[in-house]
Amino acid sequence: MVDAIIEGIRERVSVAIRVNQSVGIQVPENRHGDLLEAIFGSMLKNTHDIWTFVTVSKTFDYLSKTFREISQHPNIKFIDCISRSAGIPIHNNCTYIESPTMLEKTILEIMYNFKGLKGEAEKYIVIDSLSALMIYNDGELIREFMSLLMNKTRSENIHIVSILIEEEMDSNKLIQLNDKIIVLRDSFID
Amino acid sequence: MAKKEVCSTGIEELDNKMNGGYPLGSTVLVTGCSGSGKTTLCMQFLFDGARKGERGVFFTITEPLFKLTKNLEGFAFYDKKLIESGMVNIIDLRIISERLGLDAEKYTVEDAGALLDILKDIADELDVKRLVMDSITALCYRLQTREMIRDFIFKLGTSLAVMSCTTLLTSEVPPQTFKFSQYEIEEFISDGIIFLGDVERKGDLIRTLQVVKMRGTSHSRTKFSLNISSQRGIELVPLLKSTEFESFLKR
Repeated sequence: MVDAIIEGIRERVSVAIRVNQSVGIQVPENRHGDLLEAIFGSMLKNTHDIWTFVTVSKTFDYLSKTFREISQHPNIKFIDCISRSAGIPIHNNCTYIESPTMLEKTILEIMYNFKGLKGEAEKYIVIDSLSALMIYNDGELIREFMSLLMNKTRSENIHIVSILIEEEMDSNKLIQLNDKIIVLRDSFID
Repeated sequence: MAKKEVCSTGIEELDNKMNGGYPLGSTVLVTGCSGSGKTTLCMQFLFDGARKGERGVFFTITEPLFKLTKNLEGFAFYDKKLIESGMVNIIDLRIISERLGLDAEKYTVEDAGALLDILKDIADELDVKRLVMDSITALCYRLQTREMIRDFIFKLGTSLAVMSCTTLLTSEVPPQTFKFSQYEIEEFISDGIIFLGDVERKGDLIRTLQVVKMRGTSHSRTKFSLNISSQRGIELVPLLKSTEFESFLKR
């Protein structure tokens, strides 16, 4: 049953992300892990695509232990915004930002990951999550951050997937930021 | 319309904001508090020039040579060969002072003048196209009175104006101030001012860069967030504006 839900999420996200430049996914906290599994599944399935995963909610240390395959993949790069400020061990195959308030630096590191890439590969950014970013920054700043990031990535044909934890943020704010919204419920997808 | 001659800064985003770079032959004041990125910005400028065949010289009065080069080693723009080949020259002004028999802590106007003549001779002899003085504040600190400082700065301005190189003068100011220089004269001999500051966001300090003035070229006056990457050197991205408001409220 769980596998079927994850597969459903994966399909839905894959389709939406190919059509839209930016996709927001609203998910209840208890489905966050399933969503990550679905996204990581998509990443591993499309091996020619280039991904940057920005984590604000879970440390790279945790992600690399939980999803071993993903952390070693050459086409998937991680940016961890929380470990440094929390004094959590750091790894070589991840870029660390000193603090989740350093939003401009996060943009620079994201764009650097895609710099000079040529060819037909699809390029994606996943931000996990906007609601976690809002713990450390004001809402207005996050809107500006997303707006700047979207403008920069649009010209480079890079797609953005941003995650929102339902319990942590007013969903209206996310709707205004993205081209497409997917709402995941406990047992079905809107 | 004829294309204006410019001297690239070594920072792509900054070149874009100034129509290609500093106007050729200009004197630019790079001002900011300690740790704001002044020295890195200047070094990036010199190494960029050296790669383009333009010889440069960095006069330091604040940091010993070994410390300066050690700090540069991690940056991708740093190339030891450019120092060894003499394309980038780093000269400690304190050593020159010592050789001239000057008091290291206190200069008279004559001492400062003699030092200035030596700098000019070195620049001429090496045929440098890019010159950095780090810092004008530390140099002036050795002069005893405000009048002496004023006279020296104007003499420096006159000397630089006739030299055929693009010059960066660094100036130290206290943190969290929008002041361009310690003695409030330095900006008047400069064709351009680049202000490096910081804004506070939830207790964290974000480095910023703003081109306040740049004679001879149209330029952006927008404030940028400045990042010093341990590999890539200085990078710029527009500063998120909501930060400014938060910082203003705190003051």
